[in-house]
Amino acid sequence: MNQPALRILLAVYIAIFIAFLYGPFLVMGIISFQQGPEGGPQFPIIEWSTFWYKHVLGLAPPTRVAPLPIGEALTRSLTLAFATMVVATVLGTLTAQAFRTQFKGSGFVFYLVVLGMMVPGVLLGLGMSLVANQLGVQRTWWGTAFVLHVVYTFPFAFLVMLAIFNRFDQRVEEAAWALGVTPMRTFRKVTFPIIFPGVLSAMLFAFTLSYDEFPRTLFTGGPDVTMPIAIYGTFSVEIHPNLFAFGVLTTLFSFTLLTIYGVLMTASIRRSQAKASGIQEDIE
Amino acid sequence: MSMQETTQKSALLKRNKKFALLAPGVIWMMLFLVVPLCMMIYVSFWTQTTFSISSDLTLKSWKTFFASETYFGALIRTIRLWLIVLFLTFIIGYPAALFIGQFVRNKTTQTVLLVACVIPFWTSFLIRVLAWRPMLGKEGAINIVLQKFGLIDAPIEVLLFTELSVVIGMVQIYVVFMVGPIAFMLARIDQSLIEAARDLGASSWTIFRKIIFPLSLPGVVVGAIFVSVMVLGEFATASALSGRKVNLLGNIIVTQVGSLKWAFAAVIGVVLTAVMAVVITLLLRVVDLRKEL
Repeated sequence: MNQPALRILLAVYIAIFIAFLYGPFLVMGIISFQQGPEGGPQFPIIEWSTFWYKHVLGLAPPTRVAPLPIGEALTRSLTLAFATMVVATVLGTLTAQAFRTQFKGSGFVFYLVVLGMMVPGVLLGLGMSLVANQLGVQRTWWGTAFVLHVVYTFPFAFLVMLAIFNRFDQRVEEAAWALGVTPMRTFRKVTFPIIFPGVLSAMLFAFTLSYDEFPRTLFTGGPDVTMPIAIYGTFSVEIHPNLFAFGVLTTLFSFTLLTIYGVLMTASIRRSQAKASGIQEDIE
Repeated sequence: MSMQETTQKSALLKRNKKFALLAPGVIWMMLFLVVPLCMMIYVSFWTQTTFSISSDLTLKSWKTFFASETYFGALIRTIRLWLIVLFLTFIIGYPAALFIGQFVRNKTTQTVLLVACVIPFWTSFLIRVLAWRPMLGKEGAINIVLQKFGLIDAPIEVLLFTELSVVIGMVQIYVVFMVGPIAFMLARIDQSLIEAARDLGASSWTIFRKIIFPLSLPGVVVGAIFVSVMVLGEFATASALSGRKVNLLGNIIVTQVGSLKWAFAAVIGVVLTAVMAVVITLLLRVVDLRKEL
């Protein structure tokens, strides 16, 4: 489509749209510098200060505002996200690998897996805690919550890998086999480098989703809370700017992860391009 | 070994390999997805007394649900809120997706715009929801700005702790799930199709109506499924932004579980599942998800 007026109109629109998306984000950033400990989570800013950051990191003198359970809850969240990432990516890759050739019942398996991301967390959390009650199993973040985190993230990993395998030229692998390369070596030298960007994206998806997962964990996590549950706990009481300071810090942390992902991704693409041009030169 | 035997054997080997690849995922989903959902349906027929629950089957909890104004009202409210949010995410998201998918022809700019939409997701969901409070409150950012510009005399009070604030919060959080799939489908449209239509004298509106919109429909459906699933199962946004005044089905489940009324929570869970199943089936009627991948 090529209509200058419409284009400008839509460009303005998208600017407003993005501003809408970032609004709360910006507010969060500003309020996190509210004066403490008296300043509340609202405008106007009484005085700019970094009090709430110190509070989050445990450097501020004790006040009536309870500190966030950063250390333990965050460690739990990260451990859980990491374990979920590994299992979900492995399951996703295996299942997607099976989908590379037609088979009977593929529709059933497809929808069974996709169901995992479709069923709302509340329902799954409820169902799982009922099962745990029935079996007399203790509800824990590393047990009942973990299996649900995988149920939730495995479909994402599966879909990402499916998309990758769909664009994968099988003849490359066949050529390697025909040349007498062992399956293991083929996987390491041919298949893996091609699917690596997909694996990385699947891992990123699984990690992020699990890290921020909340309704499933609420019901099945047991007494030891993960970070989102700890934040949810502050809902019922008063909220303080320390939450926003924490939000800013975690966002920065996320950006670090995203940057690592970006760097790895670019490196992988560059390497494959370099390789491709190398092959090209060999042929010429 | 005859030729036939060899092919039979390799076919068997292939089947075993396929089975080994599929088994872990399928077993996991059966145990931790299908079993819990079945359990929920089963428990919804259990007998609930104030302090305990027993596995004697009864329809009592079901009758209570449909007889109670509060609970049936929550169902209606959930459906109403879902329809409003779905409609708004579509109306607000489509133009944004149209710009990204059709007007930006540069792949890098496209990616940058999409990434810009996704970045807010890197802040914890709950904190993002809470950040609406200083935004919408009586002395919130919006009221301050509007008053400064003299657009209003007194602060607008309906902005926070009402159904409106829940809608605003949900739209902001979920609109991106609509934009992504639609932009993806729009970007895949073959430009020569549009050029051909233009050469044949079609107006922009006709091109949009006859080519662009129909081709983007799978994206709309996928987006609608995402938004529906998430909004129907919501409770955190409602409890954070409505001051617990707006109770959705999800909120009631949380409350019931909190007071150990498992059978009752299960009934509401089943109702929610049923609503969800109808919605997704209808949406999948429009487009075959598997073909579009």
